[in-house]
Amino acid sequence: MSETYTLPIGPLHVALEEPMYFDIKVEGETVQGVELAAGHVHRGMEALAMHRNYFQNITLTERVCSLCSNSHPATFCMAVENLAGIEVPMRAQYLRVIADEVKRIASHLFNVGIMAHLTGFDSLFMHAMEVRELMQDAKEGVYGNRMNLGQCTIGGTRTDIDADIARFLRGQLEALKPQLAELYGVFERDPLIRTRTRGIGLLSEQEAKLHAVVGPVARASGVAYDLRRKAPYAAYDELRFEVQSDTAGDVHSRALLRLREAVESISIVEQCLDQMPEGPVKSEGFVAVPAGESVARTEAPRGELIYYLRSDGSDTPQRLKWRVPTYMNWEALQVMMAGCQVADIPLIVNSIDPCISCTER
Amino acid sequence: MLPFLKIMVRNLLQGPSTDPFPFAPAKTPARFRGAAVHDSEKCILCGICRHVCAAGAIQLRAAEDGSGMQFMLWHNSCVYCGMCAHYCPTGALTMSDNWHLSHLGEDKYTFSEDSFVPFGECAQCGARIQPRPNVIVEKLGGRAPDQFLLCPKCKRESLVKHASDTNLSQFREKQ
Repeated sequence: MSETYTLPIGPLHVALEEPMYFDIKVEGETVQGVELAAGHVHRGMEALAMHRNYFQNITLTERVCSLCSNSHPATFCMAVENLAGIEVPMRAQYLRVIADEVKRIASHLFNVGIMAHLTGFDSLFMHAMEVRELMQDAKEGVYGNRMNLGQCTIGGTRTDIDADIARFLRGQLEALKPQLAELYGVFERDPLIRTRTRGIGLLSEQEAKLHAVVGPVARASGVAYDLRRKAPYAAYDELRFEVQSDTAGDVHSRALLRLREAVESISIVEQCLDQMPEGPVKSEGFVAVPAGESVARTEAPRGELIYYLRSDGSDTPQRLKWRVPTYMNWEALQVMMAGCQVADIPLIVNSIDPCISCTER
Repeated sequence: MLPFLKIMVRNLLQGPSTDPFPFAPAKTPARFRGAAVHDSEKCILCGICRHVCAAGAIQLRAAEDGSGMQFMLWHNSCVYCGMCAHYCPTGALTMSDNWHLSHLGEDKYTFSEDSFVPFGECAQCGARIQPRPNVIVEKLGGRAPDQFLLCPKCKRESLVKHASDTNLSQFREKQ
């Protein structure tokens, strides 16, 4: 007996404790079609941004999402700097890269941890979170907060890294390296993880290009698109790193790709600590933002993040708009989920690392 | 073999890695951004903290008798971003490493950083100006300490006088 029925999932639950509604057409245990409905946590942040001045907006954009909480203010500050023609000192550019990469490691470890949790492997989830704790402590020690770093400001950065702090940060990275290698081995070889995640949520290179997916989702499908390489910002053009890519395009390859990126990030932070020039960390004085438009792009942990800013010359933006990576990725869920089992839905949703709070803002 | 077994056994032997917080002090880094602290001795009431505060946690209220301003920072509204401390030109606001911030609901309007900053006096005419504490005069007004202590009107007059004196002396030199 073949019977198709609709399975409502959400608005709460699925992979993360974030609201998104799925109407899933199911035949037996197999998914036939997916309809997404978003918009459950709309916070009106773009409208809020128009009522706050540029300084207040740094803090506001930082609170868009906790895992990309450095990418948002950094991109916003870049948009303001592009418009006002502010030159950011080189040391500040390196410090921004460090903050970005530390956040990226923590974000990727969080995502693979959640993946372990969704496969029912909770002790691995706990272990991944404990490994991530090294980075959380690093953030707390260097910037003063475990999630919202508050590192970026218009024209530079707020905290400097002196010799003591650099030694502490290096120590944390050294401690992380073997742990991360071990974790990679587990995720690569563990039979439980392999059975649950290999060959599901497939996204071919062609489909990836068609849906214009970004970030690790695109790179795991063979589209080696990384903004840090394609359009280097901050100090990325002076750093050596390898853009990770894979061709498998399944849930497993995305998780492994994130872990490999975390390893690259460690090396980027170390290069920054080595190469960082001396000098000021922020440009002096306050600069008025002239009327006009500007755009800034960065590679957030989930992919390309775009900020658009329009100013009328006052101290509040006339319009601030941002496009987040999840927005591009979740349409591709319809391809990834087609033909999968109902039990695999949370895993597939988690594999695009959805950030509903970024997307709905 | 299951590659995780080794890690699991190791983690079991190591025991819990969390802080035993209520029974022992938790480790707090020196740079931790906890409750903001206001030092009224250093405040010059410039208002930049209120301008950059995204949470609207900072208020400056004029005293009824006009003798000064009441500085208020609600820890309850504060989001601990530290922008006020970063932009404060005199270092009157700092982020402490105090994170013991739980309080009763009835205390939410009194749980604040509350200090009174008296106005200063113009060194020439005695008019009311923003406060000019000595520590700040040394730091910000070092270039022209006399003018730093004047009200806008006296400052303007002194500048005009200075300029005309200079012109006059130059004129005399030419003659």
